Amino acid sequence: MIEYRDVSTIYDGDFMALDHVNLEIKDGEFVSLVGPSGAGKSTLLRLLTKELTPDTGKVILDELDLSTLTTAEVPFLRRKIGTVFQDFKLLSRKNTFENVAFALEVCGAEPDEINEDVPKVLNIVGLTEKINNFPHQMSGGEKQRLAIARALIHRPKIILADEPTGNLDLVNSYDVVKLLMKINEFGTTVILATHNREIVNYIGRRVITMERGRVVRDQMEQGKYII
Amino acid sequence: MKKAFIRVFNTGWTNFKRNSYLSFGTTGVMTLVMLLFAGLMAVNYISDQIVVGLEDKVDVSVYFKNDASEDQILAVKSDLESNPEIKTVGYTSRDRALEEFKALHAGQAIIQESLNELDFNPLQASLNVKADDTSKYATVVEFLEAHKFRTLMDKINFYENEAVINKVQDITDTVKNWGLLATFILAIVAVLVTFNTIRLTIYNQRQEIEIMKLVGGSNWHVKAPYLIEGGLYGVFATVLAVIIFYPLIWLISPKMEVLMPGVSMIGYFGSNIIQFLALLLFVGIAIGVVSSTVAIRKFLKV
Repeated sequence: MIEYRDVSTIYDGDFMALDHVNLEIKDGEFVSLVGPSGAGKSTLLRLLTKELTPDTGKVILDELDLSTLTTAEVPFLRRKIGTVFQDFKLLSRKNTFENVAFALEVCGAEPDEINEDVPKVLNIVGLTEKINNFPHQMSGGEKQRLAIARALIHRPKIILADEPTGNLDLVNSYDVVKLLMKINEFGTTVILATHNREIVNYIGRRVITMERGRVVRDQMEQGKYII
Repeated sequence: MKKAFIRVFNTGWTNFKRNSYLSFGTTGVMTLVMLLFAGLMAVNYISDQIVVGLEDKVDVSVYFKNDASEDQILAVKSDLESNPEIKTVGYTSRDRALEEFKALHAGQAIIQESLNELDFNPLQASLNVKADDTSKYATVVEFLEAHKFRTLMDKINFYENEAVINKVQDITDTVKNWGLLATFILAIVAVLVTFNTIRLTIYNQRQEIEIMKLVGGSNWHVKAPYLIEGGLYGVFATVLAVIIFYPLIWLISPKMEVLMPGVSMIGYFGSNIIQFLALLLFVGIAIGVVSSTVAIRKFLKV
């Protein structure tokens, strides 16, 4: 369970990125976070990986108050979460296999386990043939599928996808979303931040709408993109 | 632990190879820095030899009156040798002095004839004193002035040579001090150049570092391969520097021997190659690793 309790975040001393946000996201949910640019969607996600800390309020993950975590404990938090970014954030000096393997290595996985699991996940995202390719040798859709494979590999409880279709065409966007929905079916919580109306309406699950750092609408089921 | 080290080393080595353009540039700059270090060592060796050569030319001789017996002179010699600041004391008897004088002027008939006309040996017995360094001669002279056999001593040539000795001491002090200062300044420049080069290399990879942190990498997990990479720059730079340095020394050494007989750079660096290589490797790896550690710190705060 993820809880945001009265969370506010202020950038540069005067820009209110989040304004007293209260939210609860249950295990296994698929949540679409929608809203225009600057609404606070990414900030909400970045609080969960402790890239940012709230100026007021608390972010709680499975009854753990994230503000109590020390710097040394942050990597352990991040290993419980898989993150997919709009700009992919792939390691350019590593090939497909190594990009995915890195997420397992940091969790302390043995080489045998890495050699067994990575090809399986690459098969799920359809990148088996690109196993030795480097990010610059791949298309946008392939890069994003690789990013999803990396986010999946250590079987995280939560996947955060921050505008994962922002740099993709329609076909690739639907592929990525279908993949996220499939992952969610196996019980992983998925939080998707997007402002792609078609995608959100296609998913048809819980939709949280944000504007100017506030939650203005929370459709628990069969949600639609409404601004 | 062993597995972790192998993983870190492999990652560092792979990064080094894949980033060949950047690695080549960084290693190139570090090679120049290591050559600078090697050059400083060569210059220090030469300046040391200049100082030793100059100091070796300075000595003090005590000439004894003709009525001083050999036993008395040898007693003074023994007293001098017990002084720890004195390196060697050489005794030249009157007969030996005469032989050496004749040998020295063997081709000069007038001198030989003059000596033959004399019915006695005009030369005096002497002790030749060499101290550890030129600053000790004043103490040696004080010691002799206070000696119980002072009355048997005719002349101590320190007073004639004092100005020369002081000049030599000034020169050697200047060479030593300026050499040390120049080494120190150039060493700092070398370290700064290396640090800045590695800092730029890591700056280019700041996004990768950020991503590794976001994926859950601990500071050590992210940092360790970069330290290995930094160390590898040092290793390759040292190897390249040595490959360039030794042929250069081989070329320069004979020319230096013409200028400074007895000073063999190839002999010195050849006989100390293991120590020289170990020292350069240590310096190269240390600079590489420390520079990487400092440069990466800023980017780990994600």
